[in-house]
Amino acid sequence: MNGIHDLGGMHGLGKILHTPDEPVFRSEWEGRVFAMLLSVNGVGHVNTDEFRHSMERMEPAQYLSVSYYEHWLHGLETLLYEKGIIAVADLDAKLAQIKGNDACQ
Amino acid sequence: MPIVLTSDMVAGALKTGHSTRVDVAIEPRFKVGQRVRAKNLQPLGHTRLVRYVRGRVGIVETDYGVFTLPDTMAHGNIPTPQHGYRVSFTSHELWGPAADPKNSYRVGLWEDYLDPASDMAP
Repeated sequence: MNGIHDLGGMHGLGKILHTPDEPVFRSEWEGRVFAMLLSVNGVGHVNTDEFRHSMERMEPAQYLSVSYYEHWLHGLETLLYEKGIIAVADLDAKLAQIKGNDACQ
Repeated sequence: MPIVLTSDMVAGALKTGHSTRVDVAIEPRFKVGQRVRAKNLQPLGHTRLVRYVRGRVGIVETDYGVFTLPDTMAHGNIPTPQHGYRVSFTSHELWGPAADPKNSYRVGLWEDYLDPASDMAP
């Protein structure tokens, strides 16, 4: 698809930012997202090309404004939903529970 | 096929990654040194044929061997095994006459993305 991911040759996006000492994970949740992908990609639920396509299909403005592992999380949720492994209601309920726990702390 | 990733599988999965190379003997359609033109495909689904090479002429630099095709793997896990090539493009071919001629570009392209090009300069 001619999506927002295919940026080659576009102008006006500014300099490429390079962080020489960039950590593998900037925060703990990024490592969790990495592990979540491995747990479905590593055992054949999802293949790498499906995963790339799930990220390409993100809403373009959102695609450009979120971080690397947020793309991964979005793609994972999309694929797990499309393959019937999770339901949107389950995901929403879990998020509400987590937010509730955070609010109590 | 296992359904659950268990702790004993993690080290191996991390070490080997997920190569898409396929161990089957398929005759390549293109030779190293051959001029090829990237097709002008505009699929609605997944492709790794980047927009900026579509319709452009380059030279096959390396035949990487046989791999699954992302375009069909992304939609139903269909392998479509075929050769993948490293194709070299000049900066003028991709970015026009004002581009710096010192630069050239190497792009990984699957056989289905390519047509033979005539020996005429593009």
